[in-house]
Amino acid sequence: MTPLPDALCRHCLLPLGRRGFVRTVNGESCQFCCYGCCIAHQVKSGSGDASEAAWFLVRLGVGSFLSMNIMMFSLLVYSGAFTGTDRRVLPTIHLLLWGLATPAVLVLGEPFLRETWSQARRGHLSSSALIVLGSLAAYIYSTLAVFRLGGNLYFDTATMVLLLFTLGRYLEAAGRARASRDLAPLLAAESESATVVEGVEEHRRSVREVRAGMLVRVRPGERIPVDGVIVEGCSHTDDSVISGESRQIAKTVGGSVLAGSINLDGPLLIRSSGCGDASRWAQICRSVREALRQPSRTQRIADRLVGAFVPVVLALAGLTLAYWGHRLPFGQAMLAALSVLVVACPCAVGLAAPMAHSLGIGQLARHGCLVRSPGALETLAVTRVIAFDKTGTLTLGSPQLVDLASDGVGEGEVLGRLAGLERHSEHGLARAIALAARARGLDPIATEDVRVVPGRGLRGVVDGEVVAAGSAAFMHELGWQLPPALVERADVMATSGHSVVFIGWSEKASTGRARAALSFDDTPLPEARATIEALRALGIRVMVLTGDHAGAAARVAATVGVDDWQAGLPPDAKRAALDQCRPRHGAVAMVGDGLNDGPGLAWADVGIAVGSATDLARETADLVLPRDGLWLLPWVVGRARAVRSSILANLAWAFGYNLIALTGAVLGLLQPILAAAVMAGSSLLVVLNSLRLERLPGPAYPGTLQSSAAARAASEWQPREPAERSRQRLEIAHTWGERSPRPET
Amino acid sequence: MSYYALLFIAGIAGSFHCIGMCGGFACSLGGDPRGASATAVRHALYNIGRLTTYCFLGGLAGGLGWAIYTCLGTRSQLGAPVLSGSLEAVQRGLAVVAGLLMITMALQFFGIRGMGRVTTGFGGSTLASALRGLLSRRGHAAPLAFGVLNGFLPCPLVYAMVAQAASTVDVLSGCLTMVAFGLGTFPTMLLMGGLGRLLAPRWRQHGVRLAGSFILVLGLLTLGRGIVPMTAHGLHHVWHVT
Repeated sequence: MTPLPDALCRHCLLPLGRRGFVRTVNGESCQFCCYGCCIAHQVKSGSGDASEAAWFLVRLGVGSFLSMNIMMFSLLVYSGAFTGTDRRVLPTIHLLLWGLATPAVLVLGEPFLRETWSQARRGHLSSSALIVLGSLAAYIYSTLAVFRLGGNLYFDTATMVLLLFTLGRYLEAAGRARASRDLAPLLAAESESATVVEGVEEHRRSVREVRAGMLVRVRPGERIPVDGVIVEGCSHTDDSVISGESRQIAKTVGGSVLAGSINLDGPLLIRSSGCGDASRWAQICRSVREALRQPSRTQRIADRLVGAFVPVVLALAGLTLAYWGHRLPFGQAMLAALSVLVVACPCAVGLAAPMAHSLGIGQLARHGCLVRSPGALETLAVTRVIAFDKTGTLTLGSPQLVDLASDGVGEGEVLGRLAGLERHSEHGLARAIALAARARGLDPIATEDVRVVPGRGLRGVVDGEVVAAGSAAFMHELGWQLPPALVERADVMATSGHSVVFIGWSEKASTGRARAALSFDDTPLPEARATIEALRALGIRVMVLTGDHAGAAARVAATVGVDDWQAGLPPDAKRAALDQCRPRHGAVAMVGDGLNDGPGLAWADVGIAVGSATDLARETADLVLPRDGLWLLPWVVGRARAVRSSILANLAWAFGYNLIALTGAVLGLLQPILAAAVMAGSSLLVVLNSLRLERLPGPAYPGTLQSSAAARAASEWQPREPAERSRQRLEIAHTWGERSPRPET
Repeated sequence: MSYYALLFIAGIAGSFHCIGMCGGFACSLGGDPRGASATAVRHALYNIGRLTTYCFLGGLAGGLGWAIYTCLGTRSQLGAPVLSGSLEAVQRGLAVVAGLLMITMALQFFGIRGMGRVTTGFGGSTLASALRGLLSRRGHAAPLAFGVLNGFLPCPLVYAMVAQAASTVDVLSGCLTMVAFGLGTFPTMLLMGGLGRLLAPRWRQHGVRLAGSFILVLGLLTLGRGIVPMTAHGLHHVWHVT
């Protein structure tokens, strides 16, 4: 059976890669990326007598029992315990060693042999081939030595190499699984099951089978499987998977709950409001899964190198044997060749990038930041320029109408028409206009055929007449006249830093003209300044690219502390501005939220969308920050850099180690057992080095700088600790069932 | 011989500590439905597995100590004219390290933490929870495997003894050190397996203290062996009468 392409390992949730295979565990067909993960999954999920997990542990335990005995007797032989009068027991000891080694090789070597065989049938030479070849050669040589030829025995080598690799793979898999612990709740959306209440009966069903209107029961401690409305019960929920904010939210009958959040303390009955796989949780799940599937550039290079490694090592081992065979006794020459085979197992190289990626993506996801591809993280790490869109990104995005200058028309007509037009827009100004109109008791005038001209404005039709609102440039483009008095007023508005919108319409089929200018004021986000300072401290150039008026841009830029800004940019000019930066600064990131920056986000090397961005922005962004999540950006950049440096350190270690150890082995300086031990250890080191990412601090709200922000921080982020802890506790409880006994220390 | 006797007693004293985790395992290993003798075999296999691991660790540590000993010894031979003197210095250095390690471990038993991360860190908890799956399995291989893997579970007592084994600077002595200690834990563990959890938690607390005291004394002795000049003290002779 060959695994499906593009699938994720059942245990560690990393892409399957070259070593992938399918195994049936507990009657369920599971895909694994490596033997280690298969073992670890069996150990973790195994329960009861029949589980293969127990069988694996028996295999490992018995294998260790045999190899440890072999090792001990061998050590005694080496250290000279059987010299002098004790010499005559040596043949017996040799026979004993053979008797112990034969079952040990069978028990421990079988999985490696199986993997080698299945890979060989698909035309690959896997690294397990090296292990199998190495230990079998040592075993066969030693067996011959016992019965025929005499000479040194290398049973300890044969078995310890196998044992160490088995152990190494298990530890590696355990580490990988731990790396993906943060991801597990995000990826659970598809495999989650829900307790559906039908009349008096309750059935466990897959989330995918849940339709709108079904009643779902959620016990305390469970994850809510579907979006819905509470019909019965009250409880607190923790929405951190969806919103990134770990705080308890009180919910009662009639309240809506989100799929993916944890029901903390009371039983709930929920009426599903949509299909199980249409929830935002399921969407996040698909997005994360998609991200994990895409290998980054580093990963592809590493994979290719690993692929080329095995044949090279085989050849090298052959050469080593040939060279030393002439100069040393055959036994020692063989040992040198064995060391070459064993030491060059490139497991650590293959592990370097995916572990760090899934850790990084998982941690970002835990705070509500979605990453579309691991490559985006690596690019963000080297990015030195971040361009911000202004409206809704650096500002609250809810501007208010502050001034209105009209040219021969009433305020009511202006606002009515504008409100009718902007009803079809998601732009921040639209809401301000709607609010202003409502405040004056005006109804929006029905407008048809409204079209958004990105970066320019809106146009529509009222009673056959064209209505348009937007920048002065837009009016010029339409060929409409701008009355000088209006332009003058607009200039005054703009110099005081407000956004200015012109509105005009045509009358009686004549060419239209601008009739009024409105100015809006948008408040910069309280945390914007601190965020930008933090980014600058990270060595990042910050600039503002906005489609808005220069005055507004200058005012906001000054407030948030940016001196590099460009205003009045339509979307394609934003792209040009990004292009200008590239030759000097390399990769450029763009942060935005709305329709206006969709193309910019797509064009930037890393597009970052903040908040509940419009769907287009979410589609084109490589990274999505949660709503009100701008302050997370410096942390995200820091995390991306940590991920990248961890990958580089892993690769440097893995390759450097391989080269040095390989040289030592070729020169005959390295014992095979030592080689295997350090090799297995090198994988473990890569795992541990990657896990260091876990210890980095979480994001800290820069609230201490500003009082309003501080108040917000106090009200929103204080409960984080207990909520987080209880969540982790729940997760642990989910993962392990009951708590295991621990050593008393 | 008194050295090994001391270690045996340390094993007995230390096994009060074992009751916490390993004793629990021994309990849940339970009986064999085929009768008392089968149950005995089951528990014997479990303990043999454990002993093998200890013995292996001891041999390994002894071998490592020996490697350091010869390696440093021959190197310092170039600088120092008296071979035996520098060798002794190495052995004493090892004893100091082992003694300090043991004292650190012992302090943990009294609730003074510091190395908790090392002893219960990555892998240990995973392995412990994984092992539970083995407990209910029938057959002879499972208890043996369980015992072997159990022996690898992080345990400050074992670490302390391994440090002790390393300071013996000999594979065989290292093995024997751990065997003596391991055999010392047999009575309690067999009792636990046979009779179940008889001891009240308060008693176990005392037991842990007792174990800690023993390790502390052993650690101080080992440290003393490293620090106090051999000629000035008769203690040294006690250690080498084996």
